[in-house]
Amino acid sequence: MNPQSQTDAPSYTITCQMSHELAALERLCQVVRIRGFRIAKMAVEAADNKLDIALTIQGSRPIAMLQTQLEKLQTVARVELKQPALKAATASQIA
Amino acid sequence: MNGAQHILEAFHRHNISTVFGYPGGCIMPLYDALVDDATVEHVLCRHEQGCALAADGYARASGKLGVCIATSGPGATNLITGVANAHRDSIPMLVITGQVPSGLIGTDAFQETDVLGMTLGIVKHSYLPESIDDLPAILEEAIHLAQSGRPGPVWIDIPKDVLVATSSPQPMQIPKQEKPTRPDIAEAMRILRSAKQPVIYSGGGVSLANAEAAFREFAKTSAIPSVVTLKGIGNGGKHSANHLGMLGMHGSRAANRAVDESDLLIVIGARLDDRATGRLDTFAPNARLIHIDADAAELNKLRPAAASLGGELNGILAAFTAELKARPLAISNWQRQCRTWNTTGGFNAADNEEPLTPITGPAFVRQLSRTAPDNTVIACDVGQHQMWVAQYYEFDHPRHHLTSGGLGTMGYGLPAAIGAQFADRNSTVINVAGDGSFMMNVQELATINRYQLPVKIIILDNQCLGMVRQHQELFYDNRESEINLDDNPDFVAMARAFGIPALHIDRTDQVRRSIETILAYDGPMLLHVAIARENNVWPIVKAGAGNRDIIDETRRPAKQSKESIA
Repeated sequence: MNPQSQTDAPSYTITCQMSHELAALERLCQVVRIRGFRIAKMAVEAADNKLDIALTIQGSRPIAMLQTQLEKLQTVARVELKQPALKAATASQIA
Repeated sequence: MNGAQHILEAFHRHNISTVFGYPGGCIMPLYDALVDDATVEHVLCRHEQGCALAADGYARASGKLGVCIATSGPGATNLITGVANAHRDSIPMLVITGQVPSGLIGTDAFQETDVLGMTLGIVKHSYLPESIDDLPAILEEAIHLAQSGRPGPVWIDIPKDVLVATSSPQPMQIPKQEKPTRPDIAEAMRILRSAKQPVIYSGGGVSLANAEAAFREFAKTSAIPSVVTLKGIGNGGKHSANHLGMLGMHGSRAANRAVDESDLLIVIGARLDDRATGRLDTFAPNARLIHIDADAAELNKLRPAAASLGGELNGILAAFTAELKARPLAISNWQRQCRTWNTTGGFNAADNEEPLTPITGPAFVRQLSRTAPDNTVIACDVGQHQMWVAQYYEFDHPRHHLTSGGLGTMGYGLPAAIGAQFADRNSTVINVAGDGSFMMNVQELATINRYQLPVKIIILDNQCLGMVRQHQELFYDNRESEINLDDNPDFVAMARAFGIPALHIDRTDQVRRSIETILAYDGPMLLHVAIARENNVWPIVKAGAGNRDIIDETRRPAKQSKESIA
């Protein structure tokens, strides 16, 4: 599957708390990509040796699969799904 | 104490006595420290890929942590295939590389590569220590992580200045041992009791969890027909009454049939790999799943389970066994049906004992299985010979079968056999190779000679890349492309050049005696076995097809009708 072609794939917002270690963000982004999602928006805030990340991502695979894979990263403390899936078209209409 | 000495101190603390490595510029402080260390045996392989694969073989055969060491730049990049191999098969491994000094990182210094960045996808975790003060805790955490939960490789890339900087030893904080998860099995038990045609589907996770005994007790008590993945071979032992062999692309007809007709799969330490399931949407169409695995991310990943049990396999299997001892299952009709399928569709090739006929891979492997002692470790490469070993060698224990399952790394077998021999210097270790795979890490013959390891090497030589040739024959209209190896070197002369005696055979009546000869020899020996170019691995399921569409020699597709196979 080529995530780049998933223009009508569902969109999700997840938040992730992780330790602020070397390559922490690279690990996160790599897992998102390899598990079939693309990042539409990303906000990162570093505080107290921790990273708080809000991600809007798009992909047609089950989001639960990405969540469990992200939770496997040693640097990740918590992953939360903030909103249910929205169709990209609906999301853009809202915007 | 400098950084290098901290590493050795961590080795001592964790009883790491054997490491595989290759020196070079940025890792030299560690090699300098090794000079004064009497307890850690460093094995010099002849290529860093050999180091990583030997550490993998050591870990698989022993159940201990495999350790490999290399320098920065090409040393580290040469390790990558071996580390990816360990990652795909969940092998506990500690990888230590030297890196250019901290101040030179990011300046394109000599032998600098972004090891941390380029290895993110093939490690369980990795570190780049920024200070000597961080190193002891990182070592401790890395050694723990590599072996805990679902095991895997952990990589520490250490700048040279950190290796030579000093700090005093500090009291070590031992990482907390997590309490094993013991999920409630009540719902799974209810599902199991309601099944009429259950099948146990077990994989490499059984031995990774050291759960062989608990698995065998469960299999024996439940008497449920069982199949294994490539990595699960040996889980049930040699004489398992209801065992149907390997499933999947080169699995037995019996195993694939039973899975196809089952109404419940009890998946234990396996991840529903595509080589095992074939096309997933046609796989076991009537079966619900009870999925038991140490890695919660594997549960419901490819197929939803009716009951998902994430946690420690020993405890979960023991709970099932206790329930079944109290009240056995009533599945005798299904057991009888599976036994019938196994009689007609198991791996029971006719003996090929007629003299002067060309040797076939299956017949050779069956003879090897009959002749070699029970505790023999077989380290395979990748290709047709690997599948013949999986099909026809009877393994008594999963740690006796070293095979590159997830990554499919040609060149795995020779260094893995070296690792296995270091894990137990008294065991019988045989590398069964193909002529293509053998050439990929042939330099390790020098390692075998250097340490006088009694490793036996068997090359099943069909003068081609046989598995690729077979696929080209069956699925590419017999259009052979770049598979010809009829200009192979003289393997017998080559072995002798490395100080290893060698034999050549090409007739069936030479098979048994040649196997007995190499096994009786008190040292390394190579047996070169000429086999026919046209031998195929049967049965076969085309990649992407369903396991029901299994092809065997009698149902071989016509060469012109490749579309009809799809």
